[in-house]
Amino acid sequence: MQKPIKFIFDLDGTVTAEETLPLIAKHFHIQVEIDSITKETIQGNIPFVESFIKRVQILGELPVSEISSLLGKVNLYPQLYRFIQENSTYCIIASGNLFCWVDKLTEKIGCSAFCSEAVVENDKIVKLTKILRKELVVEEFQRNGYEVVYIGDGNNDLEAMRTADIAIAVGMTHYPSKSLLPVSDYVIFNEKALCRQLNQLL
Amino acid sequence: MSSAKSIVISCAGIGSRLGLGQTKALININGKSLIAWQLAAFKDVEDVRVVVGYQANDVIKEVSRYRKDVIFVYNHRYFETKTGASFYLGARHANEYVIEWDGDLLVHPDDVRKILSTEGEFICYADKASDEAVFVNTGKDGCVESFSREAGDYEWTGPACIRKDRLQYSSGNVFNQLEPYLPMPGLKIRAYDVDTYDDYLRVIEQTKGWRIYNN
Repeated sequence: MQKPIKFIFDLDGTVTAEETLPLIAKHFHIQVEIDSITKETIQGNIPFVESFIKRVQILGELPVSEISSLLGKVNLYPQLYRFIQENSTYCIIASGNLFCWVDKLTEKIGCSAFCSEAVVENDKIVKLTKILRKELVVEEFQRNGYEVVYIGDGNNDLEAMRTADIAIAVGMTHYPSKSLLPVSDYVIFNEKALCRQLNQLL
Repeated sequence: MSSAKSIVISCAGIGSRLGLGQTKALININGKSLIAWQLAAFKDVEDVRVVVGYQANDVIKEVSRYRKDVIFVYNHRYFETKTGASFYLGARHANEYVIEWDGDLLVHPDDVRKILSTEGEFICYADKASDEAVFVNTGKDGCVESFSREAGDYEWTGPACIRKDRLQYSSGNVFNQLEPYLPMPGLKIRAYDVDTYDDYLRVIEQTKGWRIYNN
């Protein structure tokens, strides 16, 4: 008998049509510091955890509620957004981003979400408490009997994609990180084609 | 035209028998890569899947020049597998019916239309032309009854169409995957595959007048 399926999506650049951290940086006029770290991280030149801690140190001083509102309005890939809404019980977001920053965004997308976490006091981040390891989310669903399809584009998706039953590298916002290609079953560069493949997997 | 069927183009191989130092999808046929000719033939097919292995990045780059909505499928074990593995990987999450199309095959444009409009399962064969062929023996109404390395009525060139749930993983050839289901309906076409350098020279000559591919 075929196992029930779960689609786990990376958020930034996979479901959103733009990367969220550069968007925050632009809004608060601190692009230079953030952009270079983000670029190096996507390419796999700085380990994700190290880069994330550095970015949170820079962005943690900024008002959390303002970031959350900003990201709640970020552009999404419309066909993929519709697929997730129509199949929300099969779909999960796995984002390295802090939940307090993407809470409005994930609520809008409308499926369950796993994120990094932090303690917030007076609308500022005072302490990082969890950096999401996406592969643990994949393993958890596999242990519960699901066949997991993982869809991502960045180096921080590597272990999750290696662990997943089916790994789809996407290159819609930027070319997928080269590190993903040896562990991918598919690479797809077009939203319509991605949705076609997801529907074929349902 | 036939949007319900998926096309799986197998472009993972090394192309070692041809000896041009690149995977066959990228070889030049009358001014365009072989994969470009194939993509032109499938411009009305929605679900085109290209299986990549050797020189995957180069094939992806070439295909992306012509179409953005192709689904690329990896056969990471291309060195120790043959077309059967690529076909299985390309087909396993595709539409219900899947047309297997070798990355080294050129089919006459009129016959491409015939293939894409034919319902159900079938196996295509052509007049003998290749240097190193697998042969097809046909029976009543042109049905394919057997494959042979030694002798037969026609040459097995592909393509073939089969329901994807009948496909099993195989490290062998596509015709090995079809053998358990014989006899199957047959379709005679004009098709040429490029296995050797002599095949390559022949295909360049034989396809010069194929007008639809020149659009």
